[in-house]
Amino acid sequence: MSGYEIVSLDDLDRLRSTDGRMVMLPLRRRLGFQPFGLNAWEGTQAGDQVIERHRELQNGHEELYVVVRGTARFTLGDETFDAPTGTLVHAPPDTFREATALEAGTIVLAAGAKAGEAFTPRGWEEFYVAFALLAAGSPVEARASMAEALARDPDAWQGQYNAACFEALAGETDAALAYLAVALAKDPTVAEHAAADEDLASLRDDPRYAELVK
Amino acid sequence: MSHLHVDELERIELPDGFVWRPIRRHFDIRAFGVNAYSALEVGGPIVETHTEDQLGHEEIYFVLRGRALFTVDGNEHELAAGQLVFISDPSLKRGATAVDEGTVVLALGGKPGHPHEVSAWEAMFAAVPAANREDWPEAIRIHVEALAERPDHPALLYNLACMEARGGRHLDALLHLERAVALDPKWAEYAQRDSDFAAIRSEPGFP
Repeated sequence: MSGYEIVSLDDLDRLRSTDGRMVMLPLRRRLGFQPFGLNAWEGTQAGDQVIERHRELQNGHEELYVVVRGTARFTLGDETFDAPTGTLVHAPPDTFREATALEAGTIVLAAGAKAGEAFTPRGWEEFYVAFALLAAGSPVEARASMAEALARDPDAWQGQYNAACFEALAGETDAALAYLAVALAKDPTVAEHAAADEDLASLRDDPRYAELVK
Repeated sequence: MSHLHVDELERIELPDGFVWRPIRRHFDIRAFGVNAYSALEVGGPIVETHTEDQLGHEEIYFVLRGRALFTVDGNEHELAAGQLVFISDPSLKRGATAVDEGTVVLALGGKPGHPHEVSAWEAMFAAVPAANREDWPEAIRIHVEALAERPDHPALLYNLACMEARGGRHLDALLHLERAVALDPKWAEYAQRDSDFAAIRSEPGFP
């Protein structure tokens, strides 16, 4: 460890979401950068989503997006605008934001954290990585990332539910049902999510599933 | 305005020869440190040679456009657009010069495990244009605004005293200089050699 490292965007992993819509370049995780959240998102084709529509109400993060390659079309609140390389976009927590690539290979850097609080990485990164690696055919690495995510916040129903989805997709029915049972015990409304979640499709013919969500 | 191009950011030419493009200050970002830098000329400085010993920041320098020649811990690395250097060790000396015309480097940083605090140097940099045109009320206003958040920051107090001395507010200058020295005695030594204090050096109470 020399205390510094040089990295190119081209060297970073491309992790595609399970629905195929998003490609993450896991920058913070790759570097071990600790002060705030930092990732990049790539649109491999024109029209690909690079920032999904969302707000940051739950975790209170303010975010800065930087278009570092290509051009993206952003919507920030009520405004839609084209953002070529070098554009900076600041989004407060309560503002809806989304962006799509206008050129193949567009990359947007996303930095975020909550003002006044020390940053701690959130489990969503590991969950995202776990599902992406599973879909990409790397189950061992995927499972390691899932374990990291669960260890980060073991008491949250969301983690247990994500683990249930992960195991269902991996074909591990017994493990999936066990995680689902824990998630339901923590929050019975999980049954509503489960009913509409395609990730759990492989469980629905199992009588134990019907027993759990009844 | 919640979006702009990096070329639309304010350009603040600093005495050390590089150009600060204040991103955090423009958007009033409170959660993390982020700025851009450009150079006055090819071969000129684009990232000031410094360490992060005092602030304890981890830093990332990302080349947004052009190429820059970084020197980190004595080693030279030429980075092109799309490359970055992550410096996790605050004690490492780092700096860079521009290789191409129009090179822009993004700097992102913060202290692990701590809520972000706006660095005091931002106000000092932001006051440079006002000081250059001898607009002392504006330079003083920028420092006072920063001190409202960091009232016991010795360097800010010292710089405020400099601006006040130059602007003819001698009593305020003496009071703020006295406070800076009380917080950190090294500023008394600096004040002895600082031409900003020429007008008040013979005043009673000058350290």
